[in-house]
Amino acid sequence: MHIPDGFLDPWVLAGCFLLAAAAVGVSSWKLRGGLDGARVPLLGVVAAGIFAAQMLNWPIPGGTSAHFVGGAFAAILLGPYLGCLAMASVVVVQAFVFGDGGVLALGANLLNMAVIDVFVGYVLFRALVGVDETLAAFVAGWGAITVSAAAVGLQAGLSSTFAYDLGTTLTVMTAGHAVLGLVEGAITVLVVRYLVQVRPDLVLGLGRARATPEEVAA
Amino acid sequence: MSASAVTRPWLRRSLVAVGVLVLLAPVFALAAGAVGYAEPLENVAEATGAVEHERTLLGSPLPDYSVPGTGTVVGTLVSGVVGTAITLGVALGVGRLLDRNPDP
Repeated sequence: MHIPDGFLDPWVLAGCFLLAAAAVGVSSWKLRGGLDGARVPLLGVVAAGIFAAQMLNWPIPGGTSAHFVGGAFAAILLGPYLGCLAMASVVVVQAFVFGDGGVLALGANLLNMAVIDVFVGYVLFRALVGVDETLAAFVAGWGAITVSAAAVGLQAGLSSTFAYDLGTTLTVMTAGHAVLGLVEGAITVLVVRYLVQVRPDLVLGLGRARATPEEVAA
Repeated sequence: MSASAVTRPWLRRSLVAVGVLVLLAPVFALAAGAVGYAEPLENVAEATGAVEHERTLLGSPLPDYSVPGTGTVVGTLVSGVVGTAITLGVALGVGRLLDRNPDP
């Protein structure tokens, strides 16, 4: 999912940077001054946990692998704005410290993993949580990763590096991640279900009624 | 993070869980190496010839989650510890900036 440098055309990079900056800016603006101190350690530990989880590359015999991305998970736990900033922290550290995802491609990687993955995951979770929490978490994890992968395929396909082969990049990325996304969905379900059972107040995405700052501080 | 934060049971347990993930990272790195792992994006880059255009524009201290001169296990473990700590610090910093009542 991490796009290295050299893959995307300048105008695709620029467009992605603008969209990502707008989304991160709006998220910060929405939270500005309204983030209770008790949620700060929650933000830190979720970002750190997602970083660590992304290091676990699940090997798939046949020469591919997938790792948990975690955008939907971040959104369900923290809500979309804080989730976006948690994922942005992870993606920025990955780019600058580990060369995972190029620095010029940072805008695209932020757009795919900190914006699309998070907001799609949140919308799907909120749409279905009234029906069933497990179903909602699964569809959020699966759907968010699949849509993000489609965005990667679109960005790659629009770039001349891939010889304008939009059909190939879009199909491979979307189809591949629609399968890999089942793992993302399953992990999202396991962690969210556990947290909803032990500390529903920490699952901020469930809504304000179930997560007051006082409870988070407990 | 206030001093009381460290005493919150959920935070302590969460940090232990994150630590377990970091300890597992070298195991996964060895397993992924054994099957010759590649992500779907790398596969499609390979198929369309885009892989020739891949560039590293900015050197990174721990390239590809490795420590130059060490093996997979040490490199992955160090990368996991360092990366998790830096990510924690960055996210806490972002949170502090947005905090309604920052600690004095």
